[in-house]
Amino acid sequence: MFLSVLGSLFASMTSTAHAADYALRIQVKELSRDASGKTDNQPVAGVSISVTDANGVVVGAGETDESGVVVIPVPNKADYTITLDESTLPDGESLDPKTPAVQQVVADSFITNTKVISYFTGVSQSASMSGFEKVAQRLVDGVRLGLVLAMCSVGLSLIFGTTGLTNFAHSEMVTFGGLAAFVFNVTGLSFLGFLSFLPGIRDDGTFHIFWAAPIGIAFGAGFGWALNDGIFGRLRRRGIGLVTQMVLTVGLSILLRNFFLSRFEGRTRPFREFTLQEAIEIGPISITPRDLIVSILSLGILVMVALGLRYTRLGKATRAVSDNPDLASATGIDSERVIRLVWIVGGALAAAGGIFRGLDEQISFDMGGRLLFLMFAGITLGGLGSAFGALVGGFVVGVMVEMASLVVPTELKTTPALLVLILVLLFRPQGILGKAQRVG
Amino acid sequence: MDWNLVLENSLKGFIGINAVYFAVAALGLNVQFGYTGLLNFGQAGFMACGAYGLGMTSKYFGISMWWGIPLGILFSVALGLLMGIPTLRLRADYLAIVTIASAEIIRLIVRSVKFKTYFGGSDGINGFSDEFRKLGNSFGIEESAQYGFWPFRFTGRELWTLVVGWIVVALLGFLVYKLMKSPWGRVLKAIREDEDAVKSLGKNVFSYKMQSLILGGVIGTISGMIFALDRASVQPDNYSRDVTFYILTALVLGGVAKVSGSIIGPMIFWGLFTFMDNFLRQVAKDPINIGNLTIMNSTQVGQFNYMLIGLTLILLMVYRPQGVFGNRQEMAFDGR
Amino acid sequence: MGAERELSSTAIAARAALSGVAREPGASKADPILSASGVRRDFGGITAVDVERVEVQRGSITALIGPNGAGKTTLFNLLTGFDTANSGVWTFDGRSMEKIASHRTAAMGMVRTFQLTKSLTKLSVIENMRLGATDQKGEKWWNGLFSGIWKSQEASNTERADALLERFKLSHMRDEYAGSLSGGQRKLLEMARALMTNPTLVMLDEPMAGVNPALKQSLNEHIRGLRDEGMTVLFVEHDMDMVHDISDWVIVMAEGRVIAEGTPDDISKNPAVIDAYLGAHQGRSLMEEEA
Repeated sequence: MFLSVLGSLFASMTSTAHAADYALRIQVKELSRDASGKTDNQPVAGVSISVTDANGVVVGAGETDESGVVVIPVPNKADYTITLDESTLPDGESLDPKTPAVQQVVADSFITNTKVISYFTGVSQSASMSGFEKVAQRLVDGVRLGLVLAMCSVGLSLIFGTTGLTNFAHSEMVTFGGLAAFVFNVTGLSFLGFLSFLPGIRDDGTFHIFWAAPIGIAFGAGFGWALNDGIFGRLRRRGIGLVTQMVLTVGLSILLRNFFLSRFEGRTRPFREFTLQEAIEIGPISITPRDLIVSILSLGILVMVALGLRYTRLGKATRAVSDNPDLASATGIDSERVIRLVWIVGGALAAAGGIFRGLDEQISFDMGGRLLFLMFAGITLGGLGSAFGALVGGFVVGVMVEMASLVVPTELKTTPALLVLILVLLFRPQGILGKAQRVG
Repeated sequence: MDWNLVLENSLKGFIGINAVYFAVAALGLNVQFGYTGLLNFGQAGFMACGAYGLGMTSKYFGISMWWGIPLGILFSVALGLLMGIPTLRLRADYLAIVTIASAEIIRLIVRSVKFKTYFGGSDGINGFSDEFRKLGNSFGIEESAQYGFWPFRFTGRELWTLVVGWIVVALLGFLVYKLMKSPWGRVLKAIREDEDAVKSLGKNVFSYKMQSLILGGVIGTISGMIFALDRASVQPDNYSRDVTFYILTALVLGGVAKVSGSIIGPMIFWGLFTFMDNFLRQVAKDPINIGNLTIMNSTQVGQFNYMLIGLTLILLMVYRPQGVFGNRQEMAFDGR
Repeated sequence: MGAERELSSTAIAARAALSGVAREPGASKADPILSASGVRRDFGGITAVDVERVEVQRGSITALIGPNGAGKTTLFNLLTGFDTANSGVWTFDGRSMEKIASHRTAAMGMVRTFQLTKSLTKLSVIENMRLGATDQKGEKWWNGLFSGIWKSQEASNTERADALLERFKLSHMRDEYAGSLSGGQRKLLEMARALMTNPTLVMLDEPMAGVNPALKQSLNEHIRGLRDEGMTVLFVEHDMDMVHDISDWVIVMAEGRVIAEGTPDDISKNPAVIDAYLGAHQGRSLMEEEA
């Protein structure tokens, strides 16, 4: 089922041509109007562009010249991904939403030997913001990222707590959720078209995001279950060691990510709904209704998780197993059942995080991978194995990363997370909510 | 299908420059992971140290390329200390987390616009390897001439890096072999099994782990240098997380805690990878369909190959964690 | 009870030195090799160790006994630097040890074994033994490459190791992986390996656990042998026969504290000790394992 759903993401075909001297001519222009209201497109120089082929291998890179143009030779007529490094845009400029930073070129679109690709920029809001507004806006962005990170991290931390496994494929569980929702929302499953009598489901088998999101979360839960019962549960029963399992998760991560890439391709794509929204202004900050809803939903989910851990029997059992597996099983807790639950809930939460991140930033095959190290920083800060620690740590890291972009270039905004990671390990290795343990 | 070409490329892949730089990096990873049990998931970061050490000599310092060798080693020692000091007293997972994070941050820093003056941003650095090529010429290797016999035909340019590369592999392999036979190596192997036992016998476990991390890192740095010299360029995105993972796969394939494993593993890895790549590219010239579902078209061949790498690593871990040639009794990690 | 046997001269000396010592917790010894006071260790609200004062007489075999959870292993861990005390000071051979890292205690002559044996199963028996030798030149990485530097030292270490293996009746397993040894043989190997460090104080954590009865007698002999060679032995044990058989002095712990001290005969008659054991057996069902 999973495979058939994702398999329905068709990849475009490629014609292989053999001739020399192909090139991509990329131009970047500022889309602005002069005083009389006429458009006045100025070239933008010094913007970094890189071109990768279908395997993600960099085939060329360059910087726009005075006329805003860079010509990058490519080996042949094939599919390429062009990435504009947004941090190299002049201060205050940002890309027009119609020309996202990552663009695809398919082989068939080479009419002559040179293919022209255009980017347009405009003056972004942030240029006109006051210092206080910037801080407030970053804080809001940080809260959004923090909520997503917290959601993604709970499973990672609890799986570690209950089984001792550091799951390097957790990022792929995040991506999986986003992609599963994407399949229902955008690709559509034509055989489900008969459901179109329901509101929000169309004849072509595409589902409104309000359907697709919960479905994606359910798939995430199923994926977590499948990973535990199909792979890791069996390995535990066979007594396979933790390092072996950890290396296995690395293999799983490679396998899944490239599967996602082959089916989804390298570009980023948005969900169908909520792509462009007018921001509403609340005091100094502006937030789109979409982001507001996503944030409130994330917060709701996180509160539910926290309450569930605190007050339900299974939640308490989970924390007990995470604290001390031997002791927990001695008191009659069925730790395998708890571990299964952790994988299912962790998978669902990771998927939810992926979907919400996708609403925020669009979907890509590597969206989880980009968050992986931030998740690790979060759960280390919170205390490895502690569920509440993951919530708090993930949130703090998310806020911190966005706030950091006030002082460091946006492209390096994740750097402080490494710093936090190192400082925590040096001075409080058990994390802020972890219990002091013997360390060394 | 052009079997001749598939075979030629595969055999070249078996001993090609990719196998060389993977073998060197795998040797380093083997010192850390195989012999000492340290989970270094940031070998790509160490490789970047070497590549950028070379690249920065001309780009930033304007000095001879050969200074890049000590410079790169200096970088990697600093990186090893940065990764090791916070983590080597803690349980093994923390090192994995910090190394993966550090390598990622290094990649972001070297490709950033902010530090473009030093590292060349996302374009990377080119044109620093002339002195290396000139040295090849002085040994009588013509850059553009063809050398060798079927299937091992190389241009002089390729041949020169290959020769130097394999000499480096042999030297480093011998070095690691000797070290692991020495009392120093014995301490590392003992730490891999039970560091408390080693501490109780009066050895400074932290210090040995640090030495292992740095030695393995410096060897990884040399791998990055070979790669950079071969490409005559340094590209930030060639030092991503995946590179470390593929090297790990190649190492496990050959068998951990054995010098031969870390050399044969990468050879098999690249031999098979090149074979599959060439083979599938020919098969998938026309998209392969089942019903109306495209299973694979030519653009997906690469991804399919990488999926196979992941699958290989999974299957190895489940069924043959000691690698293709390993001996289960000597199996190094996890003590089982 | 073990068989009555003739006491060695060192045993007589040790017992004579201890004869005048008060039979009370924390009693001062004539010539303590190890003395600790105010040692305390809390694990999140539970006090695992709270020892006001304890001394170990040089050249004696001292047993440390007590019910499960009494804090014996934790005390071992603290004294050898494997765990960090919340408070307390202790000296070994007159040197203050609170701030000394675990690996340095061994280098100073205070070596320990573990309750769960830590044989390095993927190393051969002889490699296990060689690892124990201290100050090895070849353990510096820059020397490792040049076997000329360390070959002769390695040879003399091997000679010493072989002699110890002979003594512990492990010679026939010399080149096998330590993983192929039986539980009892692993205990012997661990003890022999500890002796490679040339210790003055040997601390054994439950040397008899998991050892078959046939081996127990020879283990007893080995421990006596250590004292007769001038070493001091401190060991944790549950096997009361063994404690009675070989120890010169017994220290009893319960609930983290030292509750009694004396000769084996004194202790077996001490009502506080009997109480501690009985009480422990009634009150606890969970939490048995020591931290």
